[in-house]
Amino acid sequence: MNDLLIAGGIGVAFGCALECAGLGDPPKLAGQFYLRDFTVLKVMLSAMLTAMLGAFWGGRLGVFDPAAFYVPDTYLLPQLLGGVVFGLGFVLSGLCPGTSCVALASGRIEGAATMLGLFVGVLLVGLAFPMIEPFYRSTPYGPMTLQHLAGLPSGDVVALVTVVAVSVLAWIAKREARP
Amino acid sequence: MKFVRQLGISALALGLGAPFAGSLFRAQPRVLDLDAIARAIDEGSDHVSALQLAEWIRDRRPGLRVIDVRSAAEFRDDAIPTAENVPIDQLAKAHFARDQTIVLYSQEGAHAGQAWVMLRSLGVTRAVFVPGGLADWREEVLHPLLPANASPAERAQIEALSHYFGGSPRIRAEQGIDVASAAKTEHRSRRRGC
Repeated sequence: MNDLLIAGGIGVAFGCALECAGLGDPPKLAGQFYLRDFTVLKVMLSAMLTAMLGAFWGGRLGVFDPAAFYVPDTYLLPQLLGGVVFGLGFVLSGLCPGTSCVALASGRIEGAATMLGLFVGVLLVGLAFPMIEPFYRSTPYGPMTLQHLAGLPSGDVVALVTVVAVSVLAWIAKREARP
Repeated sequence: MKFVRQLGISALALGLGAPFAGSLFRAQPRVLDLDAIARAIDEGSDHVSALQLAEWIRDRRPGLRVIDVRSAAEFRDDAIPTAENVPIDQLAKAHFARDQTIVLYSQEGAHAGQAWVMLRSLGVTRAVFVPGGLADWREEVLHPLLPANASPAERAQIEALSHYFGGSPRIRAEQGIDVASAAKTEHRSRRRGC
């Protein structure tokens, strides 16, 4: 029960953060694909940066056990195809699963339509699963992380990702400051 | 804007400090503590019965992680509910949190016992295995043989647990049910394997 309360609290905070960032607005999200509006990139990069630094330093300082983090397995081809389907849906609707909940909660009809499509998609995949399972489990690579791929210590990867993310964020800030 | 810049500088400082903070995962001693292993075997704290595991799963014991060490194909064929598949050759790469209770099982227990020793050598001390593996699960949890002298309360308890996991108890011959079918079920459920 306690876990459910914590998960619920995190969910509400996540929804609030998305709404505050303006990510319940489909034209704003679609603007990212046309390089007109960089809000999505800014929110995602700052969220990843915060989570990565929090996870690394929290683990190092003994706040929590990093071994408990779940790293999902990589299935390269099915996940690439999933990424393409997800991206198409994202640009068509202007919303992703999280932001569609936020859009619905703030009364936008696009949110309801996207969530309906999402549930229909989940149902169809569930029904077709016995047929698509061999593909779903093809090209398995186990849990893949940047440090395993690059063969670098986790601290070096954290530093590299931080430099890249902060540089991109600084570039976006400079671009937006132009008249 | 000033605040955003400060945040960016803080993130950079934390990120650039990371390479000097050492590894995220503390190195675990890979030395077998043979005395501790012998003690655990002697005390019986190295294993858990299929029945006990079923109660843990039903009661949603916090921190419980059930690991099936068989191959992915065998896991797809049949597995204990809530179990995750970590084949024995992948076990050393998996991460286990200190506060988790790891329950290992295989087809009949031999590989799970070996996996238990592997985990001990990796420093995972809160691990146990199911000695009879999936075969015990089928015989003790899904289709247990109800004892003739069991009280109604005991029978109800066994039946409830079996039904919870979608099974049905078998009844002894003297209670009117053909024992041959029970023996057949028993024979069928014991498959060759580890």
